[in-house]
Amino acid sequence: MNMQTAITMTAAETALVDAYTAMIGELPGEGAVLSARDALLADLKRQGLPTRRVEAWHYTDLRALLRAVPAHDPSAFAQRVEPLVAGSSVLSVLNGKADVKTAPAGINLRSYAESLVEGVAAADLIERDTDDAIGRINGSFVRDGFEIEVPEGTVLEQPLELQLVQSAGQSHSRFPVTFGANSRATVIERHLSVGDAASLVTVVSDLILDDSAEITWIILQQQGASDSHLAQVNFDLGANAKLRLFIINAGGKLVRQEIHGVTTGEGADFQLRGINLLGGDTHTDVTFTLGHDVPNTTSKEVIRNVLFDRAKGVFQGQIRVAPDAQKTDAKMACNTLLLSDDADFSAKPELEIFADDVQCGHGATVIDINPTHLYYLRARGIPENKARAMLVNAFVDEIVEELEDEGLIETLETIISAWLEKHA
Amino acid sequence: MAAVQETIDQVALIDVDQYKYGFETTIEMDKAPKGLSEDIIRFISAKKDEPEWMLEWRLDAYRRWLTLEEPTWARVNYPKIDFNDIHYYAAPKSTPGPTSIDDVDPELLKVYEKLGIPLREQEILAGVEKPRIAVDAVFDSVSVVTTFKEELKKAGVIFMSISEAIREHPELVKKYLGTVVPTTDNYYATLNSAVFTDGSFVFVPKGVRCPMELSTYFRINEKGTGQFERTLIIAEDGAYVSYLEGCTAPQRDENQLHAAVVELVALDDAEIKYSTVQNWYPGDKEGKGGIYNFVTKRGDCRGKNSKISWTQVETGSAITWKYPSCILRGDGSRGEFYSIAVSNGHQQIDSGTKMIHLGKNTSSRIVSKGIAAGVSQNTYRGQVSTHRKAENARNFTQCDSLLIGDKCGAHTVPYIEARNSSAQFEHEATTSKISEDQLFYCLQRGIPTEAAIALIVNGFVKEVIQELPMEFAVEAQKLIGISLEGSVG
Repeated sequence: MNMQTAITMTAAETALVDAYTAMIGELPGEGAVLSARDALLADLKRQGLPTRRVEAWHYTDLRALLRAVPAHDPSAFAQRVEPLVAGSSVLSVLNGKADVKTAPAGINLRSYAESLVEGVAAADLIERDTDDAIGRINGSFVRDGFEIEVPEGTVLEQPLELQLVQSAGQSHSRFPVTFGANSRATVIERHLSVGDAASLVTVVSDLILDDSAEITWIILQQQGASDSHLAQVNFDLGANAKLRLFIINAGGKLVRQEIHGVTTGEGADFQLRGINLLGGDTHTDVTFTLGHDVPNTTSKEVIRNVLFDRAKGVFQGQIRVAPDAQKTDAKMACNTLLLSDDADFSAKPELEIFADDVQCGHGATVIDINPTHLYYLRARGIPENKARAMLVNAFVDEIVEELEDEGLIETLETIISAWLEKHA
Repeated sequence: MAAVQETIDQVALIDVDQYKYGFETTIEMDKAPKGLSEDIIRFISAKKDEPEWMLEWRLDAYRRWLTLEEPTWARVNYPKIDFNDIHYYAAPKSTPGPTSIDDVDPELLKVYEKLGIPLREQEILAGVEKPRIAVDAVFDSVSVVTTFKEELKKAGVIFMSISEAIREHPELVKKYLGTVVPTTDNYYATLNSAVFTDGSFVFVPKGVRCPMELSTYFRINEKGTGQFERTLIIAEDGAYVSYLEGCTAPQRDENQLHAAVVELVALDDAEIKYSTVQNWYPGDKEGKGGIYNFVTKRGDCRGKNSKISWTQVETGSAITWKYPSCILRGDGSRGEFYSIAVSNGHQQIDSGTKMIHLGKNTSSRIVSKGIAAGVSQNTYRGQVSTHRKAENARNFTQCDSLLIGDKCGAHTVPYIEARNSSAQFEHEATTSKISEDQLFYCLQRGIPTEAAIALIVNGFVKEVIQELPMEFAVEAQKLIGISLEGSVG
């Protein structure tokens, strides 16, 4: 105890505590919501930001890496942008403020600020675990977001785009989303920055998939080169529910993307595909945990990382199989192309298995571009830089192609190629 | 499948009471009083007739140890150890330094006979050349006998207990002791540095290929004691040595502590092969008793093109906490780790390796096979890392776990850290149970379930068994059989 009180607060920790004092008066919600916020901030104050001594943050020492926290900037201006896929319904959060103009047909929706004011949101403002720094920060400061319900049997023909545009300061949003039984939907969660000002964005999405819901959730993170992005997706899969989660990180200075899920119904299936395009001075960490809590559930994760410049990449993946979760089939792969001597990549794929009749495996590789592949292309007259770009493209393209939707694949491929052209 | 269920039931029935080395021997012992203090350390040092610098080294470690906290990150659970409730020194009374095998207490010789370890140097009979192994036998705190010393000396190899080495070759000990595992390394290594009582010392000079296998047998016999041995092996330029250790202990209700430190130093073009068959008493079927095995083993590939290879068969101990590692410092050096970890009953194993690539063109290979049965927990924890300057580092890691029964757990926690674009790391891990298809295939061909499972398990661990010296391979295979008795014929 003495040791903990002796810790001197870092600039970022002080800034967070000060921001709370400055902002609490205008943050939505009182009563239970306010006490939940106070409790989370008290924990943050007591424990500080996590260091590498906290196992979940072993490769991302948030205390050292989060140097500064920009103050909330109420005057900052951001504008809604065109959706990624034409025809999508767009729900935007501009500098942390939900912009509720149009509620797409077929879904129930309200701003998260309303839930906070009403007080029902108090139950969400908790820490997942003692090491849940993102939940703690987001829960203390959360201002807005959307509470979404896709009713039972609803099939959304067009994608739903959750668009978060940040121009400056800090913003903290939440998206509790319930997908009713047998619903079908594609959701695109998109993070953008406008302007060069550094900002801090935290976002927590809590997804509940009822029985037999089949959902594709795509996260495209393209924040600015000086931004900090702390995000968490939590999900709970009911019987025969299928969640396909695609994550593309192509921006940000300090990025931590957490994914925590459980399968609570038999026959549930989870698929994670991740592409991390890391360049410049970024530090990007994708941390994933999945609990197979009931028998007969399946999961597969494939993460592809490409690192240039002085980028640091981290992947932590943990698959837990509960004692009675027989017939679990879980596979995880993390492949990395390390293209610069100043870049580094750390991986920690974990298996924690308490049932015997299971098939679980993981693989992790770190390599440079295969010289024989390069030679093959060069022998056909393709210049070296172009040949390298082709090979890197092929390495990540495999993942995108699994999306099936032609329009979406093409859009994402364009984004990836543009990024690679800029960094390679 | 009925046959599989039957096997699971049989495994459930087996307790670790199959332990056949559980006998206790009554030998008059010379013991230090229980507890740990500077006085006890002075006592141990005086008993060993050590020079002043050694005592200072120990005291320094002890003072540091007092400031450390017990590590808690491993996936093992055990009640708090009372470090003051242990005898830190226990030696068979009759031998104030035996000069030949004839001076050794016959009771003690019987112990080793029971263990099947020949302490009498075998003669080469006309026409029948038996493989010869030089043995150092460590009983509780002291080394009782070392065989083939003379013959090894002719080749220039020094093989003796570390206590003798401190007296006879202080310059070598001083030069290398603590350079791989410093006294500041970790809680148990620091404790070991303060109180280690014996262990083996091997020095293979430049260009010498050690003419025979060297081996040490460790036995904890006395009640309420802890065993803290320290092993130091040095292979000079171009030297080669193969060393193996075996460990057993009597069956007791109490938990006994074993905290060893092993340091290996390989200079240019040298090769050290270190094999372990660890069969400390694992506790009974209720999980009562057994050895706490907290061991720090590390090899330093200090010279260019040097090689260190660890092979371990872990079947014993209530708790195993052990990560034999390689520091690949020399350019072109190579580290290997082959492991079979079998846990049954209430055993808990948290073991693995570290491969630290520092030099250029270094390579490492890790093959770990975990087999969990009963209500045991079996964890592989490993780290592979490259330094920024370590060009062309290569690693291949494979860790497979096999689960027998639905009450046990198998876990894999690898840390992979690449800091150089020319690094090539491959890691794969799988967890499964014995495949019903494989079993069915065997049964269909008339192989009984027991034999079929034995066949499959043997196939599962074959890659590692092949790495053991011949004499040990047979023993290891038998041991795995005993550990899993009921499922393996």
